[in-house]
Amino acid sequence: MANSKKYWKGLEQLNEDANFLASSQNEFPEHLPVDEFLGDAASLESSSTSRRDFLKFLGFSVAAASLASCETPITKAIPYINKPEEITPGVANYYASTYFDGNDYAPILVKTREGRPIFISGNNLSTLTKGAINARVNASVLSLYDNNRLKNPMANGKDSDWNTVDTAIKNELANSKNIKILSNTIISPATRSILFDFAAKEVHDEKGFVKGRQLEGWVQYNPISYSGILNANQVTFGKAAIPTYNFKKAKTIVSIGADFMASWLDSLMYLNDYAQTRKPDNDWMSKHYQFEANMSLTGTNADVRVPVKPSEYGAIVAQILNKLGGNVSADSTKYDDYIAKVVNDLKSTLGESIVICGSNDKNVQILVNAINNLLGNYGKTIDLARSSNTKAGDDAELVALIKAMNAGEVDALFIYGVDPVYTLGEEFKSALAKVKLSVSFASKLTDTAAVCKYVCPDNHALESWNDACPVEGYYSLAQPTISKLFNTRQAQESFLVWKGNTTPYYDYLKSYWDKNIFTQQTSQLFFTDFWNKSLHDGVVEIPTKITDVAPFNADLNIAYTAIKDIKSGAIEIVLTQNMGVGDGSGADNPWLQEMPDPLTKVTWDNYVTMNPAEMLDKGYNINLGQEQLANVVSVTVNGKTVENLPVVAQPGQAKGTIGLALGYGKKVGNMIEATGKNAYPLVSLNDAGFSYYGVATLVDVTMEYHVAATQTQQTIMGRDSIVRETTLDVYKKGNKDDYNPAHTLLVHENGEAIQKNVKEIDLWKAQPVENIGHRWGMTIDLNTCIGCSACVTSCISENNIAVIGKDEVRRGRIMHWLRIDRYYSSDHQEVGAIGETHEKTKLAENIGGIAAYTQMERASDNPQVIHQPMMCQHCNHAGCETVCPVAATTHSNEGLNMMAYNRCIGTRYCANNCAYKVRRFNWYNYKAYSKFTEVNPSQDDLGRMVLNPDVVVRSRGVMEKCSMCVQRIQAGKLEAKIASTKVQDGSIQTACATACPTNAITFGDLNDTTSKASEGKNHNRAFRVIEEVGQQPNIYYQTKVRNLKNNEA
Amino acid sequence: MHKEAVIREPLILGNDVTYSKISDDVLHTIEHAPTKTWKILMTIASIIALWGVCCILYLIGTGIGVWGLNNTVGWAWDITNFVWWVGIGHAGTLISAVLLLFRQKWRMAINRPAEAMTIFAVFMAGTFPMIHMGRIWMAYWVLPLPNQFGSLWVNFNSPLLWDVFAISTYMSVSLVFWYIGLIPDFATIRDRAKTPVSKLMYSLLSFGWTGNAKAWQRFEEVSLVLAGLATPLVFSVHSIVSMDFATSVIPGWHTTIFPPYFVAGAVFSGFAMVQTLMLIVRKAMHLEQYVTIKHIEYMNIVIIVTGSIVGVAYLTELFMSYYSGVEYESYAFINRFSGPYAWAYWTMMTCNVVSPHLFWFKKLRTNLGFTFFMSIIVNIGMWFERFVIIVTSVHRDYLPSSWSMFYPTWVDIGVYIGTIGIFSVFYLLFLKYFPVLAFNEVKSILKSSGERYKNMSDEDFKKLHPVKKIN
Repeated sequence: MANSKKYWKGLEQLNEDANFLASSQNEFPEHLPVDEFLGDAASLESSSTSRRDFLKFLGFSVAAASLASCETPITKAIPYINKPEEITPGVANYYASTYFDGNDYAPILVKTREGRPIFISGNNLSTLTKGAINARVNASVLSLYDNNRLKNPMANGKDSDWNTVDTAIKNELANSKNIKILSNTIISPATRSILFDFAAKEVHDEKGFVKGRQLEGWVQYNPISYSGILNANQVTFGKAAIPTYNFKKAKTIVSIGADFMASWLDSLMYLNDYAQTRKPDNDWMSKHYQFEANMSLTGTNADVRVPVKPSEYGAIVAQILNKLGGNVSADSTKYDDYIAKVVNDLKSTLGESIVICGSNDKNVQILVNAINNLLGNYGKTIDLARSSNTKAGDDAELVALIKAMNAGEVDALFIYGVDPVYTLGEEFKSALAKVKLSVSFASKLTDTAAVCKYVCPDNHALESWNDACPVEGYYSLAQPTISKLFNTRQAQESFLVWKGNTTPYYDYLKSYWDKNIFTQQTSQLFFTDFWNKSLHDGVVEIPTKITDVAPFNADLNIAYTAIKDIKSGAIEIVLTQNMGVGDGSGADNPWLQEMPDPLTKVTWDNYVTMNPAEMLDKGYNINLGQEQLANVVSVTVNGKTVENLPVVAQPGQAKGTIGLALGYGKKVGNMIEATGKNAYPLVSLNDAGFSYYGVATLVDVTMEYHVAATQTQQTIMGRDSIVRETTLDVYKKGNKDDYNPAHTLLVHENGEAIQKNVKEIDLWKAQPVENIGHRWGMTIDLNTCIGCSACVTSCISENNIAVIGKDEVRRGRIMHWLRIDRYYSSDHQEVGAIGETHEKTKLAENIGGIAAYTQMERASDNPQVIHQPMMCQHCNHAGCETVCPVAATTHSNEGLNMMAYNRCIGTRYCANNCAYKVRRFNWYNYKAYSKFTEVNPSQDDLGRMVLNPDVVVRSRGVMEKCSMCVQRIQAGKLEAKIASTKVQDGSIQTACATACPTNAITFGDLNDTTSKASEGKNHNRAFRVIEEVGQQPNIYYQTKVRNLKNNEA
Repeated sequence: MHKEAVIREPLILGNDVTYSKISDDVLHTIEHAPTKTWKILMTIASIIALWGVCCILYLIGTGIGVWGLNNTVGWAWDITNFVWWVGIGHAGTLISAVLLLFRQKWRMAINRPAEAMTIFAVFMAGTFPMIHMGRIWMAYWVLPLPNQFGSLWVNFNSPLLWDVFAISTYMSVSLVFWYIGLIPDFATIRDRAKTPVSKLMYSLLSFGWTGNAKAWQRFEEVSLVLAGLATPLVFSVHSIVSMDFATSVIPGWHTTIFPPYFVAGAVFSGFAMVQTLMLIVRKAMHLEQYVTIKHIEYMNIVIIVTGSIVGVAYLTELFMSYYSGVEYESYAFINRFSGPYAWAYWTMMTCNVVSPHLFWFKKLRTNLGFTFFMSIIVNIGMWFERFVIIVTSVHRDYLPSSWSMFYPTWVDIGVYIGTIGIFSVFYLLFLKYFPVLAFNEVKSILKSSGERYKNMSDEDFKKLHPVKKIN
């Protein structure tokens, strides 16, 4: 019998309890507290993950993790899911926009690639600027990608969010009675309208003009103030405005301390017009006189430049007026000889001249107005009726504001577009402390933003909508070219929000234009069409008729008496702005900091400029070099001192004066790269306004300072085949041999010694590019090149040129492909007694032998200056090409000297053998090496966004140089090919040529006989630099012609 | 046996010199433990060499920017050192090849150490064109190798490429020449070796040399053939090095006089370096009997001659710069002697042109201390010659806007000093493990030019070497 004995686990089994039977089928019959253990029973039940799956996942993730750790990092290239209609990868888009920073105004064209703005050029449609930009405008694209920009609004010094900040500001505003806005000049009509809605009130005078000082609740403040002109015009013409100048019609230009090509007023509106008058082939060429203390960019371009002290500006103006027969009995000055010439020229060009003065003194400007009035210039070359809006800052109003703040009368202050703690210093800072609600719109943690209660960072201009009205009837639009990079908000929108208006600024702007600007014009029927066209063109010009100003009326003797009180001193200071950082707007832009000053060629610093003769008297070092350090002084003006400033020799600086650039020493947050010293404390502010001139005392400091200059040699050393210049009378005589002789060499042929044109002597076979296909080349007119350096930053921006910082610049390693060589005349080039004549004396005649060379190295005390853009000359018989052992640099069949970075092994032989020294070597890995982290924007992801994807970023150890923007040439050729046409002249432009405000640089096909470039090449003034070396460059220069008389002719 | 005229001064001094004494004297260092002096020198040299290696590694790791070069001065100490070392590397081959062809027996006492110096100097020279490249890892691109880069090949127009061929040819021929000469000497060491390790090493090095008459005959023939091959190389290497400059367009570089001028300068500096080394070796290793005052004097005479050639070349250059009428050319030379680097120019002139003429005084040219001092002066002068040519030409060329200065950094100095250290390490190793004199060759002139034999009467000579009658 089988054992059928059965054992029960319990009574439940015996009774066949249903519950028991069910649970006995489970692996674990007892209840397991899994649910309680894992918490979420519901989700657990819905999950289908079994133990096996879990192990599978575990295994997979372990394997995946270990695999992933072996892989290179994933670089993110994400295709568009929905491709925006207008973006084709690899194809650039251009948007018209506007640049205005309170100082420079320029309608611009922004080039974007794959949604990133990467390049800014001028908008040629504007008749105001005619496409002119300067380096600051051009380089502003880099500041968009600045990692130091504020990424969030801040409240009480801490990061916050917009809701919190808005609520807090609205609450505080509700309790504020006296609300003030402090801004730079606002030329945007829509913004003005918002500000009026917000806090300000526009007050019109009896004639209907808006006066800066009569904007209640709103103070416009220009750190570089022109209120002297505003006030003078108020006195003399009853309109506090800045006139517009038409340099195109000016046959005689007299500037007394006004640097109108670099910084004075609307310099960008003058450049192109000025250049038009400097063409010696035209019927007339303007004659430009410059009286000034500092050697300014404008001064270097003047025909006659007279160094004078700033305290004498008034006297000179008065004397000119006196000699012109004005109703003022001025004393004679030291410069009466010059003044007689000036007056003579002015009298012969009545109504066709411009007399301007850089002084911010109302009385001096009144006399200037009197001169222009006497000459009949108003309504012809100077227009006060159609005035410029760009400089409306009123000094008196600022003084009043600070007083009110100190008295605790201001409850809320909104600071927009200015950095007054930086520019006005402690005075403003202590006053600001008494304001309950302070709001800054700074996009970086500036000195002002750091002490404001709230910081509401404004968008970058390239992220913003805006409009502008620089001159009555002339409008332009700004449009965003990229969506906001950070959590910022446009200031206008902030004002709207705080006023309870939720309209986006774009809508506000559009409706403002619908109501106000669309109505002024007649060419478009519908607003949408008008808007689209305006946006496309960027500029709208509706110069409707305008009320004329009152006739000239002033008591000149009061003004003259006041001028006599101007203090003079043994050392007088002139505070200037240089081309790079301007009033400080470019201070945190590495491109601008590294752009050499057009005159001193110094980078990354401001410094005291002094006449070298005086420096020698004081025992200062006048030669800068890698290891030749500058002496250091402290400068005191009006009891305020700026310490430890290096002294740099500036030939042409008036004796007894020093110059110092503003805008430096700006600290942004905890950035340590603040370079230079803040010179704003030396600007004196009193009831008469700001004064940028003063009596200074210098104290020697026992230390020496490294100054980084890109050019340390001052003169041309008597070499006449590098730059050529002549005088107008010689040029007009028309004998080419007199002003641009062919270079000949003595050769022996058939037993005879003959002079042979260097063009006919050649060891080499001609390159097969002559007359076949394209031959790209350039002509550069030295007459219209003013040395402004816009081309330099443009080239940096286009060609991804590395920023290397001060120390490396000092070591002579600047990477710029395009540089501007500046040469001073030495005493050997005798300038006639009063600068009227220009004669070059031969070395041997004057001082024989070697001693002459040492003397030639020194510039004369008031030298003539010449600027020469210098880049790869694309020689047809290039020295660099033959010496490269690996053939990394070769000649293209279109005449370009090409550089194959990949092939370069870095022997630097090519650079040594380059007669023009235009090759640049990558001494370090600039994009990664720690020495450059502070200065090179390409070292962070954000900064790299500005790189032009068409141009390779060069690696360490390779040579680079100007490629004549070969990427643009290729793109242009491709475009022509697609369109099945020949490449049209002018359709391809190099970056430097697009940037040049005076169109001095012309790029084109030299094989195309009709092209502008070959026209320039065949011109009588055309020459090639050091042609006798026989390298046959494809870059031609045109002889500079000064409007002077040669005393030999 | 050939017997030299008595009035010729003996080349081997001492009445005790025999074949075995020559072997004993020369091989003393090899067969004995290193001396304390050697150890101290080796330690110092190694430290300097290591420092040099570190500088080179830092240079390669960081970039050429660690040197003091700039956009205007693309070459400075790097190529100066290169040319300096190549120049030094000239004497060895000149001594062993040219003097061999001219049957100058005094060369036998100095050719071995001079050749060793040549090899090591050329090795040092070769480092500089390598490390001066921005991308040394691509250095092999200068070789005309078949590659996958399409039509990309080397550029035969470039003098730098000629350099590659010239230096590598010179290096390999010199090395072979040196080594062939070493073989019989290695064999002697092998035969005398006491430890199995050195026996093995030297027997490997001596290639199974048996020393029979056939071997010696072939040895002589190969030496002559190699001397014939090496002689043109002596002239070609430095001529080609000079073409790095002569074919350029830079005023001060673009000079047709360069090839002969550079060769003379190289011989000049090479002999000076041989003097420096020999005077130390001679003293430290007690080789005064073989490297006599006469040898020193002969070399000093070569220094006068080549120094004069160099001097004439300098003056010719100056004259031509004036006579050419080319303003850049004349300024380049005016700048040399009156510009910011005038101190370098005048150092060069003093060391190279003026000072060698002191050797016209017999008292001075036979004075060991003075000779040693002068050998250092000449090498300083020759270093400055290259510096003057390279830096002062390029630092102020055509466009004054680009004029610049060169200031060496600690890496520039470190690499230069380092190569002297590396050179010294090699040389000290050579002194310890290699036969310092070609003693088998020296033996060959013992009986014709040795003092003992020269002073011997004919009878004594006959007694010592009785002529056997063969029936």
